[in-house]
Amino acid sequence: MFKLLTPVSAALGAALLCACGSSSPTSMVATSTTHGTLTENPPFRIASLDAATFKTELAGTSSGALLLQITGSPSCGVDFYYVKFWTVGGAGEATESSGALMVPTGAAPACSGPRPIVLYAHGTNIDKALNIADVTNATNTEGVLIAAMFAAQGYIVVAPNYAGYDISTLGYHPYLNAEQQSGEMIDILTAARAALPKTLSAATSDSGKLFVTGYSQGGYVALATQRALQAAGATVTGVAGMSGPYALEAFGDAILFGNVNLGSTVFTPLLSTSYQKAYGNIYSTPSDLYSATYVSGIETLLPSDTPLATIFATGLLPETALFDSSTPTVTVPGNAVLSAELTALLLVPGSPGYPLPPTPQTPLFAAGFGSPYLLNNSYRVAYVLDAAGDPDGATPPGVAGVPLAAKAPVQPLRLAFYKNDLRNGAWAPTSPTLLCGGDADPTVFFPVNTGVMAAFWSPLVQAGLITVLDVNGTPAGSFATLQTGFQQSQAAQLAFYESAAGGGLSPAAAQQLIVEGYHTSVAPFCSAAARAFFGQL
Amino acid sequence: MTTLSVRTRYAALIAVAASIYCASPAIADDAPSNSLRAGLYAVFYHSKADDLSGPYVPPGVNIDAKDVGTLYLAYVRRLSAHFDVELAVGYPPLTKTVGRGPATLGSVPYDGQVISTARWIAPTLLLEYVFLGENSKLRPYIGVGVNYTTFYDRDSTAQGNAASGGPTKLSLTSSVGPAATAGLAYHVANNWHLYASYSASQVKTNLVADTAGVIRTTRISFGPQALVLSVGYSF
Repeated sequence: MFKLLTPVSAALGAALLCACGSSSPTSMVATSTTHGTLTENPPFRIASLDAATFKTELAGTSSGALLLQITGSPSCGVDFYYVKFWTVGGAGEATESSGALMVPTGAAPACSGPRPIVLYAHGTNIDKALNIADVTNATNTEGVLIAAMFAAQGYIVVAPNYAGYDISTLGYHPYLNAEQQSGEMIDILTAARAALPKTLSAATSDSGKLFVTGYSQGGYVALATQRALQAAGATVTGVAGMSGPYALEAFGDAILFGNVNLGSTVFTPLLSTSYQKAYGNIYSTPSDLYSATYVSGIETLLPSDTPLATIFATGLLPETALFDSSTPTVTVPGNAVLSAELTALLLVPGSPGYPLPPTPQTPLFAAGFGSPYLLNNSYRVAYVLDAAGDPDGATPPGVAGVPLAAKAPVQPLRLAFYKNDLRNGAWAPTSPTLLCGGDADPTVFFPVNTGVMAAFWSPLVQAGLITVLDVNGTPAGSFATLQTGFQQSQAAQLAFYESAAGGGLSPAAAQQLIVEGYHTSVAPFCSAAARAFFGQL
Repeated sequence: MTTLSVRTRYAALIAVAASIYCASPAIADDAPSNSLRAGLYAVFYHSKADDLSGPYVPPGVNIDAKDVGTLYLAYVRRLSAHFDVELAVGYPPLTKTVGRGPATLGSVPYDGQVISTARWIAPTLLLEYVFLGENSKLRPYIGVGVNYTTFYDRDSTAQGNAASGGPTKLSLTSSVGPAATAGLAYHVANNWHLYASYSASQVKTNLVADTAGVIRTTRISFGPQALVLSVGYSF
């Protein structure tokens, strides 16, 4: 009878073995950390929306309903994949980064089969947890915008979150570092192309057409990526730079001379840390650049898990006071005239003795001065002296062709701007390129960026290759409807702010809100222009 | 639960079974000491799970297990005129898990979809008290014991993968819980009996779903109740 236990034991043994067995497989996990490597293949799909559901969800919010008016109703469903990949940081460090692969789906011919890719670079975002693929997150407005504008109209969208965000452990973001950011764009493109055939939406494939675009910071990254792809001999079908700070040296000079842009107190820590990590010479210690009020923790402040309003409210950054309202006296040895001129130019714009005539933007510039302030006068003076001795070609009075400074700047921050200015690198676009923006943009000045790049490239490219669109310009040509739409939306928004429902603000207060929202307001209109531009190619 | 602790619990179960077996007194009467039973199990899971938690899971996403029928096998050792010990196993059924909660996740159908399948082995060791005399035609019995449940062949279905966001690896921890039974034995002839019983046990498992590194979890409590009809042969 004892032997009867044997089969029972065998059964238990079998069960034990079974308990140790594995279940169905999940994604393959790459062991390589070489840049461009997709970490998990297939990647995780965060959400899958058919066209009707996406439209319903958009229509369910006021901002979504407005966006639908610009994008049109979705023609395709969109599958949102969360792509993790390896790239390198600003100092060449290997780091894992993440981003979005948005795949159009559905029965319509434009929604599956071979489809073009839109490689998209997002704008400045201080939310360290940013995941542009996460369409379920209500704060991810830029992700929703590109999904509705491009993916829902049949474009495969690939967009990095950027190193320093989301899962990246880099500890900083290589902000406006042309080499790093363009490299990361190409890395996620490589990773996304590897992922695409493995996804749940494999009925949609890469047609080989590649469009590159981005807004604000991302506009800059888009053109830097265009430059890098061209240098690598890759096919670029078309590019749309939108409201980007392309001519960084000229833009930096304008700001340091006192034309302080809206958002400068946020952009500066991102920039200084990025360039300090890449070049190591922006300062010996952060207190060379930053005032004692704000220097503590400044290198790790942004991007942050803390909302910007809290950062301002808790005194970690000033809202607008980039510079000391008690402006410095500049001394150029042996040149009293230049000393006096520079001292005057560094005064608060619009204040007594300021040499330039007032413009509509003078109040905006003046708001960039205060106390406490973010940056030390001594650093500002060193920068300005470099700019005065080795001027940027765009600096008024600008010289023909608006070239970079004749020789590499000496002042380290200005040198970093020079290195990363997109006039650098002896290149010009070889594929059709749209430069879109709004000429009253208080955040990324249109003339000194879009205007300078267009003028710089004009003699270098064939006629018609570069298209410049000012959505705030007089409506004309193929983008007239978009220009009219933007201007009408601005007027409607202004009227809303002045209405009882919008708070019954005074015209001046309402206009202030329009200025504050201007840069963001341009984005959907330029994106629509980019889509129309790509559609012709 | 680690593999080690699973092994430990198995060892404990086997030890209990062996000790009962070995500790039984010498059989003085002529009644057969062993019997084997085979029959059919109808399993009603009565599962109850916490809502799934983890990234990208909206509120209210839950799961349920579909009831199954399977083959019942048991070895019973007579300890005395009124006490038996039963080791019951079922042929591992393919259990289907269905989604419960939102009709769709995004645009992916969820509620009512079969999202995963698993087989499980659930040996149950029961000490039973049998009423009436051994010559009775009908003998009711009741029993209490311990159930061990372990899962294998865990697969996320295509619908499950679509709802989860990609190919999904499932793991379910093994469970040890109390079990009880009540039944009726009918003496057919010679060494043959028919049995009808109703058993209940308690199974708790932690489900971990890994989809491309995105982990979702829930804790599932089953109160499986099984209706068994079987035939037994004593020897």
